[in-house]
Amino acid sequence: MMEQQTIWHRLLMIDRRILYLILFVNIIIFLLIPVKVPTVTSPPVRKFYDTIEQLQPGDIVMVSSNWSAGTIGENRPQLEAVIRHLMRKKVRFTVISFDPQARDISFRFISRVTQEGGYQYGKDWAHFGFLPALVAGIKGMVKDIPATIKQDIKGTPIAQLPVMQGVKTLADYKMVIDITPAGTVAAWIAYRPKDLIVLFCPTSVMAAEAYTFLDSGQVAGMLTGAIGAQEYEQLLQQEGLGTPFAKAISFSHALIILFIILGNIALFMSRRAQGG
Amino acid sequence: MEWWQNFLPLNYERVGVWASVICTFAIYSILYRENPFYRFFEHLFIGLGAGYSLGPVLTEALYRCWYLPLWKEGYWAWAPVVPFGLYLYFIYSERYGWMSRLVIGLLIGANAGLFFQEFASRQLPQLNSTLSKPLWITSENFDITDGQVLKWVPLVLNNWIFIIFLLAVLTYFTFSFEHRGPVKRVATVGRWFLMIGLGAMFGNTVMARMALLIGRIHYLLSNWLGIPVGGG
Repeated sequence: MMEQQTIWHRLLMIDRRILYLILFVNIIIFLLIPVKVPTVTSPPVRKFYDTIEQLQPGDIVMVSSNWSAGTIGENRPQLEAVIRHLMRKKVRFTVISFDPQARDISFRFISRVTQEGGYQYGKDWAHFGFLPALVAGIKGMVKDIPATIKQDIKGTPIAQLPVMQGVKTLADYKMVIDITPAGTVAAWIAYRPKDLIVLFCPTSVMAAEAYTFLDSGQVAGMLTGAIGAQEYEQLLQQEGLGTPFAKAISFSHALIILFIILGNIALFMSRRAQGG
Repeated sequence: MEWWQNFLPLNYERVGVWASVICTFAIYSILYRENPFYRFFEHLFIGLGAGYSLGPVLTEALYRCWYLPLWKEGYWAWAPVVPFGLYLYFIYSERYGWMSRLVIGLLIGANAGLFFQEFASRQLPQLNSTLSKPLWITSENFDITDGQVLKWVPLVLNNWIFIIFLLAVLTYFTFSFEHRGPVKRVATVGRWFLMIGLGAMFGNTVMARMALLIGRIHYLLSNWLGIPVGGG
């Protein structure tokens, strides 16, 4: 009886730093080992994929990338998967950031992915840089993009970019894909041209609130964090960062649930042993 | 030998990687215990973030949106915009504080005006979607010419759940009269439904935080130690 009480008591007294260490090791293991985790594609991800599949070569898409280093674990897999799909469909795209840090980080990652896919800057895609005012920026682009943006991230006037041939306003775009940890999608929904389709890549924290937009059709599809990116990569049949990240997330959650169960059992048993 | 050359900070790129690795370890050292190393890098991070954001604001906001139209395109009407915006800093002056209120008033007015458009574009489609949800399987609501009525059952069931949750939660947020009898019971159910929603949001938050940690560990493994992870 005494020995059992000691075990439960010791379990309760485990230093939280040891639990952190176990969690770190768990993540490293499941990032590295090639274990396949079967997943089901959720309807929002399927809709996201199907909407992009409907694009025709030469169509133009706006990617609104508003994330910075703080949410790289969730938004980078989304961004890279989306860009790969756009390149596969041979559509043109332009990128804009309403966050100063997002400008450089999105330019760097998209430059790398587009180089792999043979996309040429200026001809197939362009980065409009950072625009300080979200609502004013969107409203300006609805009327006249070259007058609102003026020049791209490299200082080239927008109107001179080959990718912008035949594009004057946001109404000339087929869709906007908002990759963001902030509330930018509401502004896109509110101020976009009526026929511009909105696709949404939020961080997991924001996803629950976005289901109302999905339900009403204001958002055509959604990738929820790294898990959404993984499901999307499965549809694309191209493994990116989402797959190992989602695997590590799944096993970390399993570990945390195990810790919670063990902690509760230990608490219950130690109280019982003390006659409480 | 080649691995060591790629690993050590022998060029600018590797110095950058090592610097970010040191920052990462410094920030995560708080998990061990409170320490000055963590505090220093926390302040460094906040300062860098603020300083970094200032650059794009100067080059892309002031230069692109104000300087270029003013000096290159001759839009002289833009000239008073920035000085007027600077009135905001009179908030620190007791004597001229009223001048900052001019800017604040303009901002509030503009945002209030924009809100009308935002409300109509954002909320009305949601109201329309809610009110037009089909709750019965009829030929008017669904295509049942193939005789397969059952395939629409999950959708109708989902709509019922949506409407029940909505009404229960709205009842909970009705403050015009005291909740008594059946209304109180519906409001209690609404509160439980809210808890389910908040629980889902919290679960997603845990997932998000875990993804951020994984992103950082991925950086240490791939960029610092050179171990390939995934196809990214």
